[in-house]
Amino acid sequence: MSNPTYTAIFYLFAAITVFSAAFVVFSRNVIYSAFSLLFTFFGIAALYVFLSADFIAVTQVVVYVGGILVLLLFGVMFTNNIMDTDLKTDVLHAIPGTFLFLGILAALLFTFYTTNGWMPSDTQLQGSVVERIGFETMSRYVLPFEMASILLLAALIGAAFLARYDNGGTNEH
Amino acid sequence: MFELPSGAEIQSIISILKSGLGFFIPEIYLSILFMGLIILDLALKGRNKSGILGWATLIGLGGSFYFIAQQHAMQAGEHFFGMYVLDEYAIFFKYFFVASGMFAVVATLADRKFDAEVKSIGEYYALVVAMVIGMVMMAAASDLLMIFLAMELVSLSAYILSGYFKRDARSSEAALKYLVYGAVSSGLMLYGFSLIYGMTAETNILKISMELADHGYDPLVMILATLLIMAGFGYKIGAFPFHFWSPDVYEGAPTPITAYLSVASKAAGFALLLRFFYIAVPHGVSPYEDILGIDWLTLLVIMSVASMIYGNVVAIWQKNVKRLLAYSSIAHAGYLLLGVIVMDEIGTQAVLFYLLSYFLMNYAAFYVVVLISNRTGSETLDDYRGLGSKMPLAGAALTVFLISLVGLPPTVGFIGKLMIFSALLSKGALYIWLALIGVLTSVISLYYYMLIPLNMFLRESLEPNEKSLNPGFLAQLMMAVLMILTIWFGLFFEPLSEFARYSSAMFGLSLY
Repeated sequence: MSNPTYTAIFYLFAAITVFSAAFVVFSRNVIYSAFSLLFTFFGIAALYVFLSADFIAVTQVVVYVGGILVLLLFGVMFTNNIMDTDLKTDVLHAIPGTFLFLGILAALLFTFYTTNGWMPSDTQLQGSVVERIGFETMSRYVLPFEMASILLLAALIGAAFLARYDNGGTNEH
Repeated sequence: MFELPSGAEIQSIISILKSGLGFFIPEIYLSILFMGLIILDLALKGRNKSGILGWATLIGLGGSFYFIAQQHAMQAGEHFFGMYVLDEYAIFFKYFFVASGMFAVVATLADRKFDAEVKSIGEYYALVVAMVIGMVMMAAASDLLMIFLAMELVSLSAYILSGYFKRDARSSEAALKYLVYGAVSSGLMLYGFSLIYGMTAETNILKISMELADHGYDPLVMILATLLIMAGFGYKIGAFPFHFWSPDVYEGAPTPITAYLSVASKAAGFALLLRFFYIAVPHGVSPYEDILGIDWLTLLVIMSVASMIYGNVVAIWQKNVKRLLAYSSIAHAGYLLLGVIVMDEIGTQAVLFYLLSYFLMNYAAFYVVVLISNRTGSETLDDYRGLGSKMPLAGAALTVFLISLVGLPPTVGFIGKLMIFSALLSKGALYIWLALIGVLTSVISLYYYMLIPLNMFLRESLEPNEKSLNPGFLAQLMMAVLMILTIWFGLFFEPLSEFARYSSAMFGLSLY
């Protein structure tokens, strides 16, 4: 990682991620925000590659860019009048918010630059990790895996409930 | 390259998973109940669907007591590769959460607002059960990954439940506020987890404790991680300064869900908080000096004092009963944190006992609020005027529950506060001022709690009509039983406190 080219590329992707994420938040147009999110997701996928997490990087692209973002854009485009709606992006509590933001940022950066107590991992990664991830998911991490399925089922039911058209009241009355 | 593990290795993994399964039966049962309710909802047609589903949920949840009771005989230990523990502490919370889920269903069946507002009740009960599963997992999780997943399951179910009155703008607002605050706080918590992982390269809390004790830790990172993790836990327990969601959510959500959130979700937060800070943080060894003498305990002390003062003082100005109880629940989080600070067996016992007493009195108070709003259609303090003569039993019962919430004898709330304060005092002179703040803020709380009986009994109704508002025989019976229980356990608290003491044993605990 000491190679200057690596460093330059890393900062390039980091900048893309941060700036496009900021644009998502501050843009007043939903479509612009949604497209800007595309760059954020790609940037994060690139950062995963730098961490040698190639599987997560690919998953990030397939799931977030290929699935969620496309759905999001469809949702936005199918919604009436959403292009004309000016989003309210007024900043509330600007001064305390800025202080809090700068305080947290400073604390985190200070901590990361002054700490050297990080624990390095024992295992050296070589080659593809997909098989290992698959094996671990089905052995050591099988309980969280099942837990996630219950979580997703609950979320699915909730989403279906919220999205259903409801003119209110039971039919009994 | 990845080499496939040998046959023997795979066999050992399978046998570990199989043996873990035997310790996991209540959770499996609840998951099946969750899915069964969804299918029952699809299969059922007709008029009394809500009632049938409600009773099915009630009976189903009640059935899980049988499986939980069997776990008392089992050996405490870790299962599923350290993802999950079974100990007396976890079993206590299993009872607690299943019972609170049942009570939420009882309150829902009593609430007439659901008939008018909700068209499809099927998902509701399924999500109540999903939340029970999540909370049971929260109390027993011993791995950062499991903790996060369980918290998210609880949160996601709670978001939808609090927005269940879709056409009511305030209910939707409650759900959205809850979602936004929840997303931010669980993001912060994950950041804290990642710092812990960075220091130890472990996710199991027992191993984290060992690593931290062996290699020491950077105090700056530790305090930062604690602060971030507290954002997640503090959001669940609704303590100051992570309480911002609670008044609006408590006011807007359906009242049974308000009660459910204020009791069960808070208790789940405390279950996790106790387990995390008692086990994951090493005790007795301090290889490094903490920054300015501040450690996680100091943070908890600050949060506790701030919650007690803020919750009790702001509650004075509230005009809506649900909002008033929301601020009071912030204050109760403060009292419970006092018990966490004590850090010994008496303290844990006091916390568990206080949770039990809070369960009884808070659920009961919300139940009466539901019954009153069925008749009057309102939850504001002014509309409680003169209700004492129209609903005498409800008035008397609510007064008893509120006296218990203040912490006056001879109620169960008094014993709860007494145990917390005496645990603090037994710890030494250093904690006297904390107990003093607790007592003083309880005195403040007397004022606003008593506003409700004052309006009910001593003030005349604005529209004087003398017809009595009978809430129905079953509801009367339920109120009477709860009222008697509140006083009964205030006089004969021995079984509850013994149970709390028995349940204070955690697996892998070296603190006491």
